[in-house]
Amino acid sequence: MKPKVVIAGGGAAGMAVALRLERLGVEPVIVEREERLGGKVRGWHKLFPTFTPAAEVLDPLVAQIGRRGIECRTGAAVEALSEHGVKLASGQTIEADAVVVATGFTLFDARRKEEYGYGIYDNVVTSADLERMMNEGAVRLADGSTPRRIALLHCVGSRDEKVCQRHCSKVCCITGVKQAIELKKMFPEADVFNFYMDIRMFGAGYEELYREAQQSYNIHFVRGRISEASPMINGRIQIKAEDTLTGRPLRMSIDMLVLLAGMRANDDNAALAASAGLALAPNGFMQSADPFLGAVRSPRRGIFYAGAVTAPKSLADTLAEASLTADAVMDYLNSVQR
Amino acid sequence: MTFFAPFTIPFIIGGAIMAAVLLAKYTLWAVRLPREDKRLIRRNILSFKSLAALWEVVRESLLHVRIFRVNPVLGYMHSSLALGWLLLIAVGWIETVAYLGLRWVPLQGHVFFKYFMPVNGITQHKAGFELAMDLLLAVVLSGVALAWIKRMRSRIMGLRRTTKHVLFDRIALSALWFVFPLRYLAESVTCAIYGGGSFLTGSTGSLLASHLDAETLAAVYEPLWWCYSIALGIFFSTMPFSRYMHIFTEIPLIFLRRYRLAPGIEPKSYDHFEVEACSRCGICIDPCQLQSVLGIDEVQSVYFLRDRRYNMLQLSVANNCLMCGRCQTKCPVGINLNTLRLNSRSRMRNIPNEGRFNYLSGIDRSSGEGRTGYFAGCMTMLTPRTLSAMDTIFRAAGDDIWHADRDGGVCCGRPLMLSGETTAARKMIEYNTDLFRRHGITRLVTSCPICLRVFREEYALDGIEVMHHSEYIRMMIAEGRLQMRRTDMRYTYHDPCELGRGCGIYDQPREVIAAVGELVEPAHNRRDALCCGASLANTVIDDSQQMRIAREMTGELEATGAGTIVTSCPLCYKTIKRAAGTETKDISEVVAENIFQP
Repeated sequence: MKPKVVIAGGGAAGMAVALRLERLGVEPVIVEREERLGGKVRGWHKLFPTFTPAAEVLDPLVAQIGRRGIECRTGAAVEALSEHGVKLASGQTIEADAVVVATGFTLFDARRKEEYGYGIYDNVVTSADLERMMNEGAVRLADGSTPRRIALLHCVGSRDEKVCQRHCSKVCCITGVKQAIELKKMFPEADVFNFYMDIRMFGAGYEELYREAQQSYNIHFVRGRISEASPMINGRIQIKAEDTLTGRPLRMSIDMLVLLAGMRANDDNAALAASAGLALAPNGFMQSADPFLGAVRSPRRGIFYAGAVTAPKSLADTLAEASLTADAVMDYLNSVQR
Repeated sequence: MTFFAPFTIPFIIGGAIMAAVLLAKYTLWAVRLPREDKRLIRRNILSFKSLAALWEVVRESLLHVRIFRVNPVLGYMHSSLALGWLLLIAVGWIETVAYLGLRWVPLQGHVFFKYFMPVNGITQHKAGFELAMDLLLAVVLSGVALAWIKRMRSRIMGLRRTTKHVLFDRIALSALWFVFPLRYLAESVTCAIYGGGSFLTGSTGSLLASHLDAETLAAVYEPLWWCYSIALGIFFSTMPFSRYMHIFTEIPLIFLRRYRLAPGIEPKSYDHFEVEACSRCGICIDPCQLQSVLGIDEVQSVYFLRDRRYNMLQLSVANNCLMCGRCQTKCPVGINLNTLRLNSRSRMRNIPNEGRFNYLSGIDRSSGEGRTGYFAGCMTMLTPRTLSAMDTIFRAAGDDIWHADRDGGVCCGRPLMLSGETTAARKMIEYNTDLFRRHGITRLVTSCPICLRVFREEYALDGIEVMHHSEYIRMMIAEGRLQMRRTDMRYTYHDPCELGRGCGIYDQPREVIAAVGELVEPAHNRRDALCCGASLANTVIDDSQQMRIAREMTGELEATGAGTIVTSCPLCYKTIKRAAGTETKDISEVVAENIFQP
């Protein structure tokens, strides 16, 4: 009989782990909270730094899950877990020989930075909203017109003690560059500004894209966080910031403000960790057994991690990590059988 | 009779030192009072205020009524020592008169009367006096016993923490502890030899007489009186340099306070009376959330005043305070703890920079026209829900508004003042006062209690009615200009420090909430309300420490089971939103959502 592995989370990480395990002779079961597989990537339009449509990555994964006949329990949330299986919110339990936690992250709620007016004024959107608008076919202002001046604000809910999010969300810098280029392509006449603390371009092709944004697209980068945004009588938004390179305060009226919302730890990480005796990192993400040799293992044998449940990660990193997780699960299953 | 014996010398020296130091201190402080303070004294000294002060001296310096209210056992301890001792002196004086008639007797004659007049040789033994004196001694001894217990097991006395003392305090304290037990022993031995005394010294005397022979008694007789005199001498000579300075200093303080003298944001001579009236009772330690939540226990008002008095105040102590005012409401002496801390910060931190605010001249970014001015405050600019709710409210009330800072205003000055930059704060105050005057407003509404407080305390805005938005809303409801729709929501309310303890506004927000839904109160509210922890006044604790204080406080709010937490300060609002899982709103939002429009 094939060993059975429950994978909590049916996003990119969970699906990739499931496919790999199935190939290695295991019976994976995916438990997904949403009604459909795909996780956060499902809401994305194009991927950095190559502008690859997100569907080109996601659709093959979902299709293969179906083709291989991998069991998926959608609309079911994992409430508690152990190395012997998971308990669902419905009360049902699924027994297994190992468990993979791939429940990902939660998008930072930009309403918590009330000073930017998200959810209060029109035309303040998050990076996720912008992707959705692009997926829906058009980026427009609330009154249906096109924006002439757009500001993207980095680090909303990242590296911000005032909202208890000290960590860097890693992907927003390059997302800001990507979205700025997309906006400029859509509205060539518009001025596009990025307001940032640092620009962190660590991935392959990122720095090149950043340079291209400035040289080919004439996108402006201002080092300084926006302190507040307020609505103006003519429907525009007034932002205040400090350009810390010139040391001067500035105010600017813009048509659209895009908040690059960060990645935060899931609220239910604590409950999951408590149910299985796992540990949380200080930022609320799951703590791996070891940052080097045990990055995909939990401190408890038989429970594994994949993807952004342990820290903010890009899609590329997540997919690469999925194979490591599957590998670690196989090692464990072999050692237990023996 | 000369009423002199060598053993009285320590007492005489100690008493003389105390009298000289007290006289020097009070004279110096009084002479150095600023002119306006002296004028206040001259104007008020011959008025009913002096009588009221006298009555307060009896209530507070002798009976300790306020301590009784906070902690009855502690109150008894203080009044048994203060009133008991005073009555011992007074009854002792009457006793002397009763025995010797009205004639001059030197001080030590009164104090050591039992030594000089041990027997009923001259006059008949007066049992009434003996009983009264023994009774009073017993009362004082019970106070001393409580003091011993307080030092060793403060929890029994209802204090979780008690004060850590300096050397002078320890010497004076030890001397004080021994004064009355020694007096008791000395008088008992006297009674054992000569007879007399009542239920206390008399019966102890008989007990001693029946167990010890006359030689032993005679051998310890003089040394015991010596010890008593030395204990008194030590206590009196260290007293002006120790916490016991409060015993006498509270008296001039009460009078000066009745004459309307008060500390200000810059230090002055009057502050000495407040600083040295602190008895270091330590009642201010327990209410401090820095202590109860974070375990920081060297910055509380008692230590701040102690350090300031001995010129060893560190900026790290002066700055480590939320200025929430919880300790001030409990202080039995009624010392203006926050103002004193502010002016210490001013003394240590105020570095005037004349050119720094030159850019202010000529700027006017205000907008709109109206007799009512709205100064949102910079924290409110960061909470735009409150701003838009206020817009809705002003529109519904049909009030024309002049917006002072909608497009960027100048700070009210209080944050600078809280950090000791008094001169810079004055610049802001001058600028804004001029702005308000120029636009001819008759009413000034602000959504920020921090601004409200400085508008009320430091701005000269005669003719302009300064209101917090909760007061404004309540007034509009009372006038029928705003009609509220009642809902079945359950709200709980957090009292912001600057609004509640700072400006005394407790009822108006509650009346506003009660017009919309049901109000449930948290465990600590009104004068006892907890601070949210994010106070601008504290520049020492870090963000995570602020959040620990905040969570302690929001825990109480959430325990009420209310569906929505309401507050009326943008800073508290932001903090509660971070710390609590429950929906949080500014009072203006609650109102704006529930305006009834027929």
